Amino acid sequence: MADNGRKAETVTLTMDGQEVTVPRGTSLLHAAESIGTEVPHYCYHPGLSAPAQCRICLVEVEGAPKLQPSCVTMAAEGQVVHTDSPAAKRMRQGVLEFYLVNHPLDCPICDMSGECMLQDYVFDEGREKGRGREPKRVFGRDDFGGDVLYYGDRCVMCTRCVRFMDEVARDSRLTVVERGSRAVIDTFFDRGLEGASFAGNVVDICPVGALVSKDFLHKARAWDLDHTPSICPNCSHGCNIELHTRDNLVQRLKPRENQEVNGHWMCDYGRANYEWMNRPGRLEAPAVGRGSDRRAADWREALELLFASLSAAEGDVALVGSATCSNEALAGLVALGEEMSGGEAGRVFRSPRAADEVPLPGFPLLVRRRDLVPNSDGAELLGFERAGNDDGQGGLEHAAEHGGVVIVLGDELVDQGEEFGANASLFVYLGTFDTAAAANADFVLPITTFAEEEGSFVNAQGRVQRFQQGLRPPESARPAWLVLGALVAALRGEETPGSAPEAFARLADAHPAFEGLTWEAVGDRGAALIAEAVHG
Amino acid sequence: MSEVRFRNPGWAGNTGEFDLSEADVRGTEYVGERALDGGHPSVAPSLPYMFVQKDPEAPLFEGPYRERFEKIRGRYPTARAALLPALNLAQELRGHISPETMDEVAGLLGLSDAYVRGVATFYTMYNKRPVGRFLIQVCTNISCNLCGADDVLAAFLEHTGTELGETSSDGNFTVAEAECLAACGFPTCVQINSRYFEDVSVDDVPAVLDRLKREVNQGF
Repeated sequence: MADNGRKAETVTLTMDGQEVTVPRGTSLLHAAESIGTEVPHYCYHPGLSAPAQCRICLVEVEGAPKLQPSCVTMAAEGQVVHTDSPAAKRMRQGVLEFYLVNHPLDCPICDMSGECMLQDYVFDEGREKGRGREPKRVFGRDDFGGDVLYYGDRCVMCTRCVRFMDEVARDSRLTVVERGSRAVIDTFFDRGLEGASFAGNVVDICPVGALVSKDFLHKARAWDLDHTPSICPNCSHGCNIELHTRDNLVQRLKPRENQEVNGHWMCDYGRANYEWMNRPGRLEAPAVGRGSDRRAADWREALELLFASLSAAEGDVALVGSATCSNEALAGLVALGEEMSGGEAGRVFRSPRAADEVPLPGFPLLVRRRDLVPNSDGAELLGFERAGNDDGQGGLEHAAEHGGVVIVLGDELVDQGEEFGANASLFVYLGTFDTAAAANADFVLPITTFAEEEGSFVNAQGRVQRFQQGLRPPESARPAWLVLGALVAALRGEETPGSAPEAFARLADAHPAFEGLTWEAVGDRGAALIAEAVHG
Repeated sequence: MSEVRFRNPGWAGNTGEFDLSEADVRGTEYVGERALDGGHPSVAPSLPYMFVQKDPEAPLFEGPYRERFEKIRGRYPTARAALLPALNLAQELRGHISPETMDEVAGLLGLSDAYVRGVATFYTMYNKRPVGRFLIQVCTNISCNLCGADDVLAAFLEHTGTELGETSSDGNFTVAEAECLAACGFPTCVQINSRYFEDVSVDDVPAVLDRLKREVNQGF
């Protein structure tokens, strides 16, 4: 040991015959992970405490009289660990056999099938055939309230859900009731999970099919789902998520780990609000002309006509953006406004706002924010001003009656009537759905939603985060950054940005708040804006 | 009885052959009333006998019971640690731990209702359903079983006229099966409330029940 009795910062041990150096205080489970070995585990979850009660992560440590739980045994200098020795394997097989004593093996009708840790481990290391001769005990299923359904027979009693509610949600509504083979997870009799704001996470952390989502029940098999890294669009916190899609429809949202934003978690509000991404009846093709002159056009024709109209347009331009649009799209709108000769007459966005924030007590970074749109902070950074009330309505009087150019991007104008833009010399509507307020539009251009394009948002922490394309857009819809980028490029006589990264690079050049950021630097985990630039 | 064989009466094992009262066996100072406030805090969580009032409507906790509860709470560093004795006290008062009782105890200790339910259901000695004045728990584990515990159990059911776990119509008896009562030297062992009756045979059952009924009549 070094002088002053100070301990070294790292320890070196032998793991499965391989020497590995890890920081002091690393568990054997993580040490094994660092050489690519997954030690099976149920009760251990990186976001929760480790009670070492599932007994499946036991490994052999030379010199220790018994197998040691690798989730709580810390790596020590000179340790020799075997995760795959005959003793460890025999133990795992035995533990798995116990887990299957009362397990119904109803994988064919189980939602978890395909991503189930019990299925995986038994497939890897379990017995070929069961030896049980006695009938299995049967609990049936229990509705926990909220979105959570409990199948007691499938449960392995890892208590992850109980600990999540205790430690992270700090709302101890779940507990282990009874004991031994009669033990089940339950709430306090009729008091369920209704009203809890983060209870949906227990479905994610359940390693087996015991806790399942009612919304997702029997909807899709795990192996049929495509997983797309994305950002939750339902509030301005921007939790990192995955879109799980099948048949070009979003089937569910799952949190994606990011310790600087949302940990392993996301809120129930965000999780539940995905159906709008699947909403049918989208704008299918560009259209030009007002009222009875309205006719469909292809993109080339529409953009050429629009370019001519913009070049000839007189009067100042009123911009209405939307905080559901990416930074790239909003920056494109700003750039277009700047290219117009008449100057700008307002740059606004609207956002529905909740009455309160909803923090996650055990992971205080994660807060369901008041803004129920993903990019209100990006919009503000790009110079858009908040308009309208907390329902995301009103506040567009100026644009509605504006006599110059009006360009609406992404705002569906649900509260506006047919007279919207009647006085405008040129009214351009870029949106996903047709709306009564677009009746006077000279150009109606179908754009993609965030789920159908690549792009970035700025969250309430001042963090730029990228999302990827998870859905195939309607045939003629185009990303707004591409449509606006093409127009700006034509007006400036430069080249159209060919991709979202290129659009982002132009945005970073044009706006000091984004200075120094690159698409690569933002990466999958996001990157913070320079602090001073955020919120003025 | 034709054949006299050695029987260990225990301090509560008077099954009829001995004309001894419990006071004779244990000494009077061990029997009888004890202050309902529990006396010294170190012994407050439990009483030597279950003087169970079994009033399901009894308030939690009032008068001397409130004092006893405060003593219990003060003896433990955390509310969780005080939960078991607090549930004991509630059961002593009400005879069983109903969902309402769990909820009230949770409120008194500042614990979550679900957590209290988890603890109360883990331990079999908390009655989750109402029981009779005497809860007769017959050990049917190995030693007792080898010495005829199944027959003793059947005899108790027959003489009380109940099914397993059911309370007799007069409200006096509930017969239950118990795992090992740690009295394997004296099979069959029967625990009635907090008293052990050892070496109970099928023939002893009527005498045991008679004695219990006598106690009821004496208002004991």
